Amino acid sequence: MEATFIAALAGLTSIGAYYFGARVLRLSSPSLGAAIGKMLESIGTTLIFLALNLAAAVLIVLAVRSFTGLFVSAYVTDDAVWLGLSLIQGLAFQWWRATAAGAASSRQE
Amino acid sequence: MRRPDFLVPPRSRQTLGDVFTTGRPIDRVCRLIGLAGVVFFLVTAFTPLAHRLNLWIAIPPQMVRSDAIVVLGSSVSPSGLLSPESQRRTNHGIELYQKGLAPILVFLGGGSSGGPAEADVRAEQARLHGIPGAAILTETRAKTTREEAVLVKALLQSRGAHSVLLVTNAGHLARAFPLFERAGFVVHAAPSDMFVEADTPESRLWLMRLLVKESFGWLYYRIAGYI
Repeated sequence: MEATFIAALAGLTSIGAYYFGARVLRLSSPSLGAAIGKMLESIGTTLIFLALNLAAAVLIVLAVRSFTGLFVSAYVTDDAVWLGLSLIQGLAFQWWRATAAGAASSRQE
Repeated sequence: MRRPDFLVPPRSRQTLGDVFTTGRPIDRVCRLIGLAGVVFFLVTAFTPLAHRLNLWIAIPPQMVRSDAIVVLGSSVSPSGLLSPESQRRTNHGIELYQKGLAPILVFLGGGSSGGPAEADVRAEQARLHGIPGAAILTETRAKTTREEAVLVKALLQSRGAHSVLLVTNAGHLARAFPLFERAGFVVHAAPSDMFVEADTPESRLWLMRLLVKESFGWLYYRIAGYI
């Protein structure tokens, strides 16, 4: 019931946002496809950063255990903050790429 | 002057179908990974996938009389508050003892940042539930599941205990069960979360996170040759 309510509400606000964008802001409907592509790119970059961060953390934990004899728990990777940090990294990286590409094309003109 | 790329409206002729066929290869890879992430998130949050996976991974409970009940460690706060997972395992261990399934109750778990040890907090709770102190054993030194198996073996060997009811969550049992078998015990599974129904999006996501974490733990133990 809770899941249905949440999904239905998110669906409704999405439809509302689409209606607002198309009618009030006069955004072209076909460009929504490209926008979804950009959104997926950002999420993909975030997931790549998440995988890199977690892999690096595990390697460091194992290295510290092996070379120093100190115990560091691998559960350090079991923290939701990794996802938040990876999101920040992923978005910053995506926007950096987009901004740099924009600046480069401006120079060419 | 031309506006930066990210401020330019996406090409108007691009459709949803073009999302995975246009752009540089790296962009397409990022989009595919992003799509996989979004699908995984939605399927996990809005379907019973995590619960089904948990049941599939789970070793069925074997509530048979054993020599000891072993409650594996989870975590405790520096102020001595058990984590929800630790509390669930503790409650299950106490319940099994009260059903008369074993004469010894072993609690594991160390402390953090100078706070009380998890095993000691659990033992205190058990005493408050009327379990005699003589029936409770604690082990606070183990830092990994593998160490828990070794130290419990040393603890129970002198008491002639050969069979144990192993209490932890279903995902963790897949890794802990063979470790305790390797340590020489006859192991009976007593999953503490077997009947926990993950029926809200948040609880499903939490359960999936647990299962993914335990899958990597299991894989690491397999590669390292521990199980």
